Amino acid sequence: MASNALGLFGGPNAALAAAGKLKGAGFESLDLITPIPLHGVEEVLGKKTSVIKRFTFFGAIIGGLSGFVLAAGTAVLYLHPTGGRPIITFPPFLIITYEMTILFGILATVLGFLISARLPVLRERIYVPESAVDKFAVTVACAADDDFKRATEILREAGAEEVTEITPGSGR
Amino acid sequence: MQRRHEDIKFADVNNDIVRSLVETGPRYYVTLAIAVLITLACFFFPWFYQLYYGIGAAGMNHPTVWGTYLASFIFWIGLSHSGTLLSCVLHITNSEWRKAMYRSAEAMTLFSLMVAAMMVMVHVGRPWFIHWALPYPNQMELWPNFRSPLMFDVMAITTYLTGSSIFIYMGSIPDFAAVRDRTTGWRHHMYVLLSLGWRGTDTEWHRLGWAYTFLAVLIIPLAVSVHSIVSWDFAMSIVPSLHQTIFAPYFVVGAIYSGTAGIVTVMFVLRKYMNFEHYITKVHFDNLGKLLLALSLIWTYINVVEVFTGWYSNDSAELESLRYKLFGFYAPLYWEMILFCAVAPLLLISKRFRTSFVPMLILSIAINIGMYTERFLIVGTSLSRQYLPDSWGVYVPSLVELSILVGSIAMFCTLFLVFVKIFPSVSIYEVKETLPAPDEGKTQWQATH
Amino acid sequence: MSLIDDFLARWHEYRRPGYYEEFDYHWTMTVDLDRCTGCEACVTACQAENNTPIVGEDAIARGRHMQWMRVERYWEGEYPDVKLRAIPMFCQHCDAAPCETVCPVSATYHNQDGLNAQIYNRCIGTRSCAVYCPYEVRYFNYNNHHWDEPLDQQLNPDVSVREKGVMEKCTFCIQRIRQAKDAAKDDGRRRVQDGEVQPACVQTCPTEALVFGDRKDPDSAVSLMLGNERAYTVLEELNTDPSVVYLKKVDADAA
Repeated sequence: MASNALGLFGGPNAALAAAGKLKGAGFESLDLITPIPLHGVEEVLGKKTSVIKRFTFFGAIIGGLSGFVLAAGTAVLYLHPTGGRPIITFPPFLIITYEMTILFGILATVLGFLISARLPVLRERIYVPESAVDKFAVTVACAADDDFKRATEILREAGAEEVTEITPGSGR
Repeated sequence: MQRRHEDIKFADVNNDIVRSLVETGPRYYVTLAIAVLITLACFFFPWFYQLYYGIGAAGMNHPTVWGTYLASFIFWIGLSHSGTLLSCVLHITNSEWRKAMYRSAEAMTLFSLMVAAMMVMVHVGRPWFIHWALPYPNQMELWPNFRSPLMFDVMAITTYLTGSSIFIYMGSIPDFAAVRDRTTGWRHHMYVLLSLGWRGTDTEWHRLGWAYTFLAVLIIPLAVSVHSIVSWDFAMSIVPSLHQTIFAPYFVVGAIYSGTAGIVTVMFVLRKYMNFEHYITKVHFDNLGKLLLALSLIWTYINVVEVFTGWYSNDSAELESLRYKLFGFYAPLYWEMILFCAVAPLLLISKRFRTSFVPMLILSIAINIGMYTERFLIVGTSLSRQYLPDSWGVYVPSLVELSILVGSIAMFCTLFLVFVKIFPSVSIYEVKETLPAPDEGKTQWQATH
Repeated sequence: MSLIDDFLARWHEYRRPGYYEEFDYHWTMTVDLDRCTGCEACVTACQAENNTPIVGEDAIARGRHMQWMRVERYWEGEYPDVKLRAIPMFCQHCDAAPCETVCPVSATYHNQDGLNAQIYNRCIGTRSCAVYCPYEVRYFNYNNHHWDEPLDQQLNPDVSVREKGVMEKCTFCIQRIRQAKDAAKDDGRRRVQDGEVQPACVQTCPTEALVFGDRKDPDSAVSLMLGNERAYTVLEELNTDPSVVYLKKVDADAA
């Protein structure tokens, strides 16, 4: 039966150490739930990459293009010559381009963040309220009862203050 | 009550900040009521009168068609400049002292931008058609004129408002989650929605860190562009003493200067009235003071350069404009500005001054008065002395204008007072990062960091 | 992709400074300062023709006069040895007008007759055009105006009455130009002839100091005046390229 083991730790070092041991014992689906971002996570759980940078990059490019198209295209739709300037003038339109580049870059970053962090949450997920205060939780998905026992042991050995079993959707 | 910063536990941070949100005393309600009343009486009532009567309710006249409304607009845009910009710069340079104060600094950005947008509404002659300046076509496929510096403004300020709202919101998501677990009733529902179901997993933190850094990198050039674009509203004209190449850096420096002074004011108030004494400390005032000193010196330098280049041009219109600014009708205001913004900040050389709270508060307010004067003078003196001497004039603000100025400050205070009850005004998770971890001794993550 | 093809085909046109290769007409006015006596008859005529409001004493005292055409007076020397210089000043219809580019909603633009057109019902009242204009000839409606009876009966039906919050300025009596063009079309002629259209100020000037016409017609009165060696434009150094040309007053006693 699939279930999750959750260990609560009093500090980041213990939690990270536990996560490292679990990883070493062959558990792949590990999560740390912490009140602050931990800086040693990547060394323990492996390098993370995210798609956000692609979102930002392409968002900015699309923004830049659409910025210039907005300014130049609308100037052409209804010709109203002003001040002896051409209809399509570069210096002013580049400013519009600049602003739209940044606007779309920002919006795409937000989109990329929401998608890659899987937010907003639509279904209930494993969560412990203490982890928003001062507890550092390690959750591990266990495929079989054997795995669960093994994981519980490792968590206790690493100094977990509390170890519980959680099935997603049932709350705590 | 006086705890040392190092003695604060993680749980204390949550307690203190949740308390600032949910425990509301009568003093808060009285302040809020006063702020709302002043906003209604001094901002909206005169504004509605002006909508009915026309811009003539203000003191503007034939040569000086721009007045305090535009000066207020620049002032509020300027005030918005330090919050998010400073927060971004300090974020990507990894400054520890940013963490306790950036949230409220960013809120200052957001609200002063909103007030600035209101000032545009007050400024234009027919605000009921202001949507024509938004990029959408009318029934004849006529779009706004993207060649206009005012249109750059519309685009820049919309982007800045969007960017800084997203920046402050994204930085607050983990805090909303922390507060969500501690509240009940309508507050709980609100924070459930605002926190988007944040749990604090390592993946979420990783994504947030990256997205936040990207936003910071995007917002820094944006903020610089916003105020240079505001300066181009003036510098793109051919009015003597407005048509200056130095205006863009002048405005950007002035904006950051007045914004930093604004942060000092806000920090003082938060520290005093929200009981954040052990989060916002002398260190912050000391650092802000150093920053203010540097900015005041740059500002003074640009002012000197501006006068010098005008004088050196030996252009008759430029010389007259300069003479009028330094010795004419508005000269007392000019020298007041020099006193408040160039001379008084020299006090910041002394560390004792920088770390005393009340003198810092007084100085920060004086700087902002000086900076408001600067914006008023840019509009007032330059437009009163243009090329044709027959069209010279003098402009004095009317009571309606002064009332709307007072009302706009009250509006800012109202927005801020609402903010401190909804947003955790000190970042919970980032303050925790500055504390020693609950594990005993030097922690692994601190060692690697 | 005909849209893009079309766009690229016209690229050259879109990049041409001022957009127009050639104006249909190039309306121009000359002001002979030697003939101008400063009588301000033009001011009155303009006021009557264009429904410019009579703002009253208070507004004048606050510097809110509305005069599309004004006569600037400059005194030279000390009493009793003084000279009065009168310069009629009105919209110069610059071909490189600073006021046009700054309008965010395109309420002012350059039309095919070389006129600087103002579209009252598009104006949102940012007043930036008035700031950008170096000649200070744009006037803002600070409030709604009313005409006492029976003055309301003399409003010109060809000209709109502007509401509060709108910028306005001299149009070279565009309503008259349009009528003349319509009349020329009805007659089956292709162009308006010299002398067929006159703005109110030109019509009224008792000394014929003001001359109006099409600069593109080499034989028109105004074209002949342009060749005069006294001709200059106001604030020439700003490169606004005005359509109003002044003829310098030459003092008899000057060496």
